[in-house]
Amino acid sequence: MVRSKKLNLVILLAATIVAVAIYYTSTKVAKPVAPQSPQRIIVTSPQLTEIAYAMGLEPRIAAVTSDSDYPPQAAKTKPTVGKFWQLNMEAIIAARPDLIIMEKFDQQTSIGRRLEALGYPVLTVHLTDIRQLFEAIDTVGQAAGVPDKAKTLIDSIKSKLITLSGRFQTEPKRTVLWVMQTEPIRVAGLETFPNELIELAGGYNAIGKTIQKYPPIGAEQIVSSAPDVIIQPAMSQTSVEAERAGALRFWSQFPNIPAVKKNRVYVIPADTVHRLGPRLPQGLELVGRCIHPELYDANMPDPNSTGNLNADPNDANN
Amino acid sequence: MAIIEVTNVNFSYDQAHILENLWLSVTPGSFLAVAGPNGAGKSTLLYILAGLLKPASGSVTIESKPISSYSFMDLAKKIAFVRQEFVPAFGFTVEETVAMARAPYLQGFGFESRDDLAIVNEALEATETAQFAKRHLYQLSGGERQRVFVARALAQQTPILLLDEPTSFLDLKHQVDIYDLLKKMQTRLGKTILLISHDINVAAQYCDNILLLSADRKYHFGTAEEIFRPELIKEVFGVSGYAGSVGKERFFIPLGKFAKDAELKG
Amino acid sequence: MLTQTTLITRIMIALAILLVVCGFCLMTGTEKISPGNILKGPGLVPGSNIEYEIFIGVRLPRVLLAALVGAALAGSGVILQAILRNPLADPFILGISSGAGLGAVIAIISGFTFTFLGGSPITVCAFAGALTTVWIVWAIGRFTTKSELTSLLLAGVVVNAFFSALIMFLTSIAKSEQMQATVFWLMGNISETSLPVIIVNFVIVLAGLAVLWSICLELNLLSFGESQAQNLGVDPTRIKLIAFGASAIITAVAVSLSGLVGFVGLIVPHAIRLVLGPDHRQLLPISAIIGAAFLVLADTIARTIVAPAQLPVGVITAMTGGPFFLILLARYTRKISWFSK
Repeated sequence: MVRSKKLNLVILLAATIVAVAIYYTSTKVAKPVAPQSPQRIIVTSPQLTEIAYAMGLEPRIAAVTSDSDYPPQAAKTKPTVGKFWQLNMEAIIAARPDLIIMEKFDQQTSIGRRLEALGYPVLTVHLTDIRQLFEAIDTVGQAAGVPDKAKTLIDSIKSKLITLSGRFQTEPKRTVLWVMQTEPIRVAGLETFPNELIELAGGYNAIGKTIQKYPPIGAEQIVSSAPDVIIQPAMSQTSVEAERAGALRFWSQFPNIPAVKKNRVYVIPADTVHRLGPRLPQGLELVGRCIHPELYDANMPDPNSTGNLNADPNDANN
Repeated sequence: MAIIEVTNVNFSYDQAHILENLWLSVTPGSFLAVAGPNGAGKSTLLYILAGLLKPASGSVTIESKPISSYSFMDLAKKIAFVRQEFVPAFGFTVEETVAMARAPYLQGFGFESRDDLAIVNEALEATETAQFAKRHLYQLSGGERQRVFVARALAQQTPILLLDEPTSFLDLKHQVDIYDLLKKMQTRLGKTILLISHDINVAAQYCDNILLLSADRKYHFGTAEEIFRPELIKEVFGVSGYAGSVGKERFFIPLGKFAKDAELKG
Repeated sequence: MLTQTTLITRIMIALAILLVVCGFCLMTGTEKISPGNILKGPGLVPGSNIEYEIFIGVRLPRVLLAALVGAALAGSGVILQAILRNPLADPFILGISSGAGLGAVIAIISGFTFTFLGGSPITVCAFAGALTTVWIVWAIGRFTTKSELTSLLLAGVVVNAFFSALIMFLTSIAKSEQMQATVFWLMGNISETSLPVIIVNFVIVLAGLAVLWSICLELNLLSFGESQAQNLGVDPTRIKLIAFGASAIITAVAVSLSGLVGFVGLIVPHAIRLVLGPDHRQLLPISAIIGAAFLVLADTIARTIVAPAQLPVGVITAMTGGPFFLILLARYTRKISWFSK
């Protein structure tokens, strides 16, 4: 065996042929089909959790991700299957789902393919802008067998958005810088979902067209973009206050941009403005208040004061 | 029929000519000492004979076959080469090191057979290194290591042995032991031995002929009588001295300016 | 002195260790499963025996993949340390890491969707990237004839640096979720892959290891230097070609499936060498088997220690491999010295 050169080549060739043969003879599984009315649904992102609950699917939800913090009882009462960024496949299987709803992200698609290969029906939705939100609600509603609830939800969200947006389309139009993170500074560009919120709330993005959707930008561009308003969603849920203090300190190094001069730097809770879900109208309202504070009288809570603006969880179902 | 035939070989390193029009014919079973000043090409010659360097022109035949026609494995069964070695960072034992000489002969899955191990033991005994058999190579002194490498060459069981300064680190007793061993290999087993040594006196006592290479690419071939002439030594080495004989042994003592008996110079 | 029987005995023992480790790890995880329930089979209605589903669908492929990657990396580490005569060599030293990384990043950013032999786009591109880079490094390294090994190492360093810069550039212009995916991949993960893909790659790695085993005798000889080995009958060029080629292929396979899992390829060969000695005919198979066991264990720790989250397996290999090796070194240090007199 050992001392012959030709044998090495033969081994490799044989191995490749065997490998290819094994692959092509292993049976291909047909794409599994979900039942008409699935009773054990797993949703794999906080956005999907909110959407599912809003359509009254709670009794039929078998598991959610551990970072699904809204509605508050979701992650506490349902079994969890890991986080959005890192799903736990064993837990998913252990929950015996008959339908798994996922978002279209690389981490999720590979697990999705594996689950399909094992015979679990997987539904993938895109959920990165407002139009996709409505499509997703519709798709999920069809798949779950509650198309009427889906329609109601879509209509409710749409009408609220239109009403709110109408209020906010007043002059003057202000420019907004939407800050995703401060070290290094990354902002939301034109083709993003936060930008849609900005425009619906009667503002313009301070940044023009960029190659990336969430570009890092330098101090020069910040100053030249001269935003009227800076909106910085807080990265963590629990210490919005601390982040606010840090942000004000950070932005004080740009004393000459209009937003800082006029004290229009807002640090807001991120869960309604970075998530596409039934609470979108609340998010829009929050953004609108930042851009057009003059439309609100002094009695209403200021976005920069303590306390959240989370409305009643059952609001979207009315 | 010569066992090694060197025909009109030329070799240069970059621009420096080392060997020029070298002709050498080595009879089987002979003991040839190769001497000369540094840079004369002694090691180069041995490297060429071992197949590690290719001459620019000319040819070398081993057992009447051109050296280039030998496969690596076949050449390893004809020529064993002992020289200064790089000691690896990983700890092979003395036994394992000597056993590597059996590599060209291993069959099947490439494991040493009982016969191979017997040959290894014999080689260890012959070089008085058997007591180190299980020790790691780097634990030995320079001289002990040299004997191990000679043992390896013996275990290779080749008709030709090339040695480049095999006794440079050895004390007198072990020097003589190695030379005695090589002589035994020559007389009892008919091995052909080419040996480079800076100690021409000791080498002269054992070898049949001396190949004297000089730095100007000239060379001289002959017995100890013919080579140990003061004029020749002075010409090649640039050193004056006294050549004499004791019984059948020829010797040469180099004498410098401040030597005790500098007048003895020829 | 190594004999055939000694080697076979040791391989059997190592395999036994591997089987015990695999058995234990197959039963460990975030969900409790028991051998009894698994043996009941898929159940009357397929999908009804959850423990069986988890075992066959998740645990088994994952453990097999970890074993496969561990064996490939450890085996490749042995070979590269031998050929380069350098105790610090690891499977990634000749540009494979950055080449594979570049391939993976390109796949992530460009959003390719093709698959080949069941491998995802990332797998395929990482594999292609790895092999292409090795070929580039080999080609550059061969330009100088003086000290081929040194120029190979240097070429590897240069290519690694350049490609790493490219990776950084691409990552900086990527979308945030792509960036996350890239970093995740670069940290080394054993993730869910389908059984046929694993079997295909298993066969390739096994074949590669077999080819490498056939040159282990020559590798022993090469420890003393190429010209010395040549005098003992070794064709250095042919051996180097086989060694680099086969180890590049199995490393590329491992990296394409799991990202860059560090430490295994560097530490396992040393550990085995400390205990059993440097004879490569033994070092290669035992390192491969123990490397497999090590990675299976590390991956199991990675997926259970902070459950339900999962750590990248590279974190575990680094954190456990380092101290363990120090202990081994302290105990056996009388046996070995890195500096020859």
